Amino acid sequence: MPPRPLAKINKIDPVELKMLKKRIDIAMAVIIFSAALLLTRLWYLQIYRGDEYAKLSEINRIRIQEIAAPRGNILDRTGQPIITNRPRFNVVWNREDAPNPDEVIKDLAKILNEDISVLLDRIRAATENPRYMPTRLKEDIDWETLVNIENKHLSLPGVRIEVMPSRDYLYGDFASHFVGYLGEISPAELEEKRYATYQSGDQVGKQGVEKIFEEYLKGEKGRNYLEVDVHGFEQRQMQLQDPYPGNDLHLTLDVELQRVAEEAMADKAGAVVVMEVNTGNLLVMCSTPPLHLQEFVGGISGTAWNRLLNDPLNPLLNKTIQGQYPPGSTFKIVTALAAISEGVITPDATFFCGGALNYGNRRYGCWKKGGHGTVDFHRALVESCDVYFYSVGMRLGVDNIAKYANSLGLGKKTGIELEHEKGGIIPSTAWKQQRYKEKWQEGETLSVAIGQGYVLTTPLQLCRMTAAVVNGGTLYRPQMVNRITAPDGKVLKTFSPVSDGKILGSAHSLGLIRNALVDVVNSPGGTAKVVKLPDVLIGGKTGTAQVVNLAQVGGMSEKSIPYKYRDHAWFTSFAPAEKPEIAVTVLVEHGQHGGSAAGPVAKAVFKKYFELKNGIKTAAEGTPPPVAPDEKDE
Amino acid sequence: MLRFDRRLLLNFDWVLIGAVLVVALVGLANVYSSTHLYTNVGTPLYIKELTYYLFGAAVALLIVSIDYRVLLTLNYPLYIGMILLLLFALVFGKTVAGAQRWINLGFFRLQPSEPAKLILVITLASYYYRKETGKGFTLLDLAVPALLTGLPFILIAKQPDLGTGLLLGFIFISMTLFVKLRWATLATLLCGGISAIPIAWKFFLKPYQRQRVETFLNPENDPLGTGYHIIQSKIAVGSGLIFGKGYLKGTQGQLDFLPERHTDFAFSVWAEEWGFFGSVLLIICYFFMILWGLNIAISARDKFGVLLAFGVVSLIFWQAFINLAMVMGLLPVVGVPLPLFSYGGSSLLTNLAGLGLLMNIRMRRYMGTS
Repeated sequence: MPPRPLAKINKIDPVELKMLKKRIDIAMAVIIFSAALLLTRLWYLQIYRGDEYAKLSEINRIRIQEIAAPRGNILDRTGQPIITNRPRFNVVWNREDAPNPDEVIKDLAKILNEDISVLLDRIRAATENPRYMPTRLKEDIDWETLVNIENKHLSLPGVRIEVMPSRDYLYGDFASHFVGYLGEISPAELEEKRYATYQSGDQVGKQGVEKIFEEYLKGEKGRNYLEVDVHGFEQRQMQLQDPYPGNDLHLTLDVELQRVAEEAMADKAGAVVVMEVNTGNLLVMCSTPPLHLQEFVGGISGTAWNRLLNDPLNPLLNKTIQGQYPPGSTFKIVTALAAISEGVITPDATFFCGGALNYGNRRYGCWKKGGHGTVDFHRALVESCDVYFYSVGMRLGVDNIAKYANSLGLGKKTGIELEHEKGGIIPSTAWKQQRYKEKWQEGETLSVAIGQGYVLTTPLQLCRMTAAVVNGGTLYRPQMVNRITAPDGKVLKTFSPVSDGKILGSAHSLGLIRNALVDVVNSPGGTAKVVKLPDVLIGGKTGTAQVVNLAQVGGMSEKSIPYKYRDHAWFTSFAPAEKPEIAVTVLVEHGQHGGSAAGPVAKAVFKKYFELKNGIKTAAEGTPPPVAPDEKDE
Repeated sequence: MLRFDRRLLLNFDWVLIGAVLVVALVGLANVYSSTHLYTNVGTPLYIKELTYYLFGAAVALLIVSIDYRVLLTLNYPLYIGMILLLLFALVFGKTVAGAQRWINLGFFRLQPSEPAKLILVITLASYYYRKETGKGFTLLDLAVPALLTGLPFILIAKQPDLGTGLLLGFIFISMTLFVKLRWATLATLLCGGISAIPIAWKFFLKPYQRQRVETFLNPENDPLGTGYHIIQSKIAVGSGLIFGKGYLKGTQGQLDFLPERHTDFAFSVWAEEWGFFGSVLLIICYFFMILWGLNIAISARDKFGVLLAFGVVSLIFWQAFINLAMVMGLLPVVGVPLPLFSYGGSSLLTNLAGLGLLMNIRMRRYMGTS
């Protein structure tokens, strides 16, 4: 490399040098003057007023203690509290306050009934903290221990009781995935902008509503200004800034309804979603098995976490929004809507079901091995005839089905404010080309028409779809919070229904589908007769979603199929049929039959809903319960 | 590429090296004192500081070995690089205490506003060297250097780091006054500057910045809020008395009453533990180093060298003066570290690089100018 040519440069012109020198002299004068100024100030502080400051440093130190704010309450739609706070008493230790720490710790261990090494480990773990910061030795002590420590207060210098608000779960693991839990803020979270004002040790929402609405729930910390002496002993309290509690969150959930759903699902893995069809408000968001929220208070242990991770029932998954399952026959609602609206069939057109349809060189079976015979639109939906929908699906083509499925909100996230929602899959020719770089096979359309193949949906998506089909065609965004109120009751924010647009399909076709769905529950041939209630007309659609190809489990009796290979059971429904108010969608993982496994759960929810509604009416208006509506198809 | 002349070695400036070494050793001891109690995890900060020192010394040596005149060709690339780094920090920077100042390099978190100070010195020195002064600069002539200063100033003030931003302003003013200004220009600037203060106060400063200044003017009004720093620092310095409380025995620093005690308030720890005696020695050492730097400036072989050396000296002087005045309660609390003394890799590297430049200029004072 040749040497880089340096810029040509000239010696300084003597006249200019003289001028520069003059200015350097001025600079020197400025610098010397500054030094003199600083030295004078130093003399003033250290010599002239030194004694004063020395005294201040001896006696006058201010320590700021932070006081955690009580988090906002979480209530249901009727104002019933679900999660509140209770005081939690922690034993803390201030090492700089104790003249003979070893003695104190020994005494304390006896009172706390703990091994002394446990306490010492905690102290060792906290050595990186500033000295004045108290170390927590034991959390959440009971009243007896508390009284004991307070009595011996004088002989335990450095030991203090810290009162911290802590979450109180009034209904146990109620809607646990949905409300989420709290935890100590992690180092990674501390780096995030939204947590700019947090400090290590603070509690934050880690999941669900607790996390999403952290900003509203958290409240303002208080500060305790203490004057302490040279050894760190408190002299007096200078000023106390009370903490300001967080805001209350009024959920759309209904405590009673959610509890009924959770009880009905107690021995099952799966999900229940209940939505008000005309607002999108969610009344139930149940995912089982539940999380045990109490395990998360004060941080979950490693073993408990591993147990959750390895549980085959997948308790960590919020199945309402993260569980993706083939919708099975519930998807026939989509195919039916597309078929009538696109005009590929008329309601009266019939197909013959002999138990299977041969297409290409494959045999596509109907769930009813003997066949349904001649079926029209209404019967096909009521009795869930696969062959009918194979034929209709072929006439429609997969892209037409996808168009209607998308307009019903399938294949994409619903936009609920919860994190990590899954969007499901609605296949189309373009989708397959993009995903697998392969051409769509016509035979695959047959599977899609009955909700199998590539199709995946979440329980929330199906519930929202059902609501849209029966409410006149409006797709509502799922809402989970009604309003947020300040501790003084002032309403800070209200959430009104958000429409995500109108679904495709004529009012006529929606009416036909609604009638058929009512007969699914109420006619003798329907697949969900078990759901029928005496005084309310319910409509719905069952679904059985294959987990594995029939060939793998063919010939086995239902009970002998291993659990993980059993079909998922769906039931999606609405009531009352005349003027629908709520949509109920139930998924039972590996429940095998939509009608018998998922149906009773929905039935329990409907029963409770109308009991509550009529009960409230009686109490409020003093009128007798309304007469049971006519049952046309009995 | 390196044309190393043996004569250079003879011209090594041992006085400068000696002064830097004294401040460095004292500074390291002080970082140990102020941090040894609360860093039981990870590398102790004084070891980290020592590593920065060794690395900085290597950088300085490298700078010494290359004739400083290459900066006349490198100045704009350096300047553009600096602007890009500042932009990067603003967009992707790590947020520390509400300000976006850092770029994470994995092994090191660079605070680009630190090298920006030195690069501004180089840029202005090159510009003023090239620009023929004649009868002195008019207002119009100042437009370009003002722009060159204004751009990084805005980027840094936006972080927000008003202290460093103002420092750039001081460097600009010092260097501009050093080259010739017309009297008329000077007078106009003075009037403009004074009338700009209330406008800046009202529109440019953020509320917390205004609060800092107000607190400074009257700290006892708010002893627990923003006045806390100033009061605690004054107590630390004042309680040092004549001979101090002894090394590692300062209560203000050791008991955590002094905020930022290893960075911006490092001198308070020193003053508390070593008293008037130690503080005077340190300050004298500093100002000796600074005056020696001026001596280097005036003995440089060419005008570029004079300007460059003067710029580096003004950089170190202003940082030292602002920091010392701040911890002694003479100026509001702005985040300016004490060069070579406060903990912090970016600042240390910048100042050592600057001192390397000084040495470079010193060693080549008798060399040819071809």
